[in-house]
Amino acid sequence: MDFTWTEEEKAFRQRLKDFLAQTLPDDWERFSQHGPASPALTEYAETFCGQLAAEDLLTPHWPKEIGGQGLDPWHQTILAEEMWIAGEPRGGQYMNVNWIGPTLIKYGTKAQQERYLPPIAEGRALWCQGFSEPGSGSDLASLRTRAVLEGDHYRVNGQKIWTSYAGLADTMFLLCRTSEERKGGISILLVPMDTPGITVRQIPSLIGEGDIHEVFFDDMLVPATALFGGEGQAWEIIAYSLVNERLGIPRYSLARAALDRAVSVLKAQGGWTSEAVKIEAAHAASLCEAARTASYAIVTQRAQGLQVGPESSSARFATVMAERRVAEFVVENLPEALVDAHPYLKMHHQRGIVAGIAAGAAEIQLNIIGNDVLKLPREPR
Amino acid sequence: MDLSLNSDQIAILDALDSLSKPYAAVSLHETGFVLTDAGLDHALVEGGFLDVAFDPDLGIGTAAIIVERLARLPQATEAAFSAIVRPLLNDGVGTRLCIVEEGKTGRPLRFLAEGATVVVVGDRVTSFTASADHVRPEPEALFGYPVATLLSVPTERQAHDVSPEEFRTRWRIAFAAEAAGLLAAALESVCTYTAERHQFGRPLASFQGMRHRLAEAQVRTNGVYWLAMKAAATLDPSDAAMAAFHAQESARVVVYDFHQFLGGMGMTLEHPLHLWTYRLKLLTGELGGRGANALAAAEALWG
Repeated sequence: MDFTWTEEEKAFRQRLKDFLAQTLPDDWERFSQHGPASPALTEYAETFCGQLAAEDLLTPHWPKEIGGQGLDPWHQTILAEEMWIAGEPRGGQYMNVNWIGPTLIKYGTKAQQERYLPPIAEGRALWCQGFSEPGSGSDLASLRTRAVLEGDHYRVNGQKIWTSYAGLADTMFLLCRTSEERKGGISILLVPMDTPGITVRQIPSLIGEGDIHEVFFDDMLVPATALFGGEGQAWEIIAYSLVNERLGIPRYSLARAALDRAVSVLKAQGGWTSEAVKIEAAHAASLCEAARTASYAIVTQRAQGLQVGPESSSARFATVMAERRVAEFVVENLPEALVDAHPYLKMHHQRGIVAGIAAGAAEIQLNIIGNDVLKLPREPR
Repeated sequence: MDLSLNSDQIAILDALDSLSKPYAAVSLHETGFVLTDAGLDHALVEGGFLDVAFDPDLGIGTAAIIVERLARLPQATEAAFSAIVRPLLNDGVGTRLCIVEEGKTGRPLRFLAEGATVVVVGDRVTSFTASADHVRPEPEALFGYPVATLLSVPTERQAHDVSPEEFRTRWRIAFAAEAAGLLAAALESVCTYTAERHQFGRPLASFQGMRHRLAEAQVRTNGVYWLAMKAAATLDPSDAAMAAFHAQESARVVVYDFHQFLGGMGMTLEHPLHLWTYRLKLLTGELGGRGANALAAAEALWG
């Protein structure tokens, strides 16, 4: 076991820190409270991601032949950590480089790759994922949005909900039903958001402006060439994607950075004398570091080219525990942060609630651990 | 960064598993509160498993892996102090080792017996060899370790050239690594029982009320393991204190749950769960317990 970074990895992290320090605007911490899906941050992210791309820092972990640097998953982790600590100036584009791009690379047709990969690599694409439906959240395989092949088009009818970025995205990664088979009847369509028949309605949210939406499809016609993978292949593809997505956001890193910030604020205020406060802070820090090391164990598997196992759900749940504990620490000890006194802490708090809900609810992670790590007898359905 | 075992570590664990296989397979029916085996203790010493950290190529990281694995055995064996802390003393101290904080010498000490080396940690680190007069065995104790009370501490003790803080850091790593193995074995034992025991026509472990709590225990066990391994690799005071805290906090959270999940069987000596959980109980008070170790972590992290 080796818990040290190489000199090259340290230099890569420092390069990212320097880039962020030079590039982000002076009022960034306040600005970032707009939230990753807000119009303001989405617009800024286009500029920022373009600058990252110019420095070869937008998709460094992609293969060289499609515009990446071929760097390993540790570099991807360092990149994700530094961006997330900074308040994710890539906005919704983080999703493109983490899993949309890799999934396109693995499963896309040549035409799909040629159409969709360059805008991602240049930092000017924004995707949304059409997964959850009003009747299908954690039970995603019950989804009912239907796509019927009519000649060379699919006719799509149905509804998605809680869709991040849908208001400003240019393309949707849409899960829809093409046959009655529960999981084997689900297919993926890549759908431009300006396709006639799509209606997007923003849902007021706790987690930032413009973040979640309802999306309606009324007799939307999509060319058959928009089918991604084969008909009925969606479950396999999203299983691959979600492994990337679940590891894609190193939430422990922002949680730990927010905790460090909270301690420094308390010190400045003279509030760092109580042993009770110190014990609570250390409790939160230990959960952050437990989540970090559990995540690094998964990155180790990826770096060795192994298939990531169900232990990734354990790392994910550990991250939820860390996020919550840090958020609780801030509420208890610096409630003024949630007004507007400390924008960085407010930003962390606003986003922290997402940890246990997005990309598969925490309870689903516990189910996966029970089934596939502990090998417990399954719950009857 | 590479959190996989290296080839030396894999080979050592394979050898350790071969050595311990007969001990892992013993009958665990009505064992009493404590299970020990002098043959196992002897074989570990003879095999050099408690000396790996003296080899700089293997180090404390490998010692922690051994300690974690040994803690999964039903037998309580003194490996944590010997393998992880003893190299700090570096002057011929044997493998029968007890550690006690100055001012808290009345606490029950695991593996304290005549002939053992007792290390006293206060403003400095000193030791003495326990004689029969120093020791009162406590066979009625409710712990999964053999424990004894230290009746007195001689004023004449050997001084060791190691700082108390460095020593405490190593102590934290030692019991965190041990706790990781105890948690893993206890969890496995509970999962096996609840998967086999049927109520309402179904295995107990198929009920979500139990599955989710077991899964959360897995998350904690995994976290304790990785924090302990990291601390063993870095020897950093904050890493060690966080590992110690997380181990004690996790033990606190899961131990009662685990017995609860076994229902009536969880109150008996017929099931061996206590061989791991009642060791964890003693570790939860080590070095002042959760509060003191959290404070130590806060001090190391933020001053």
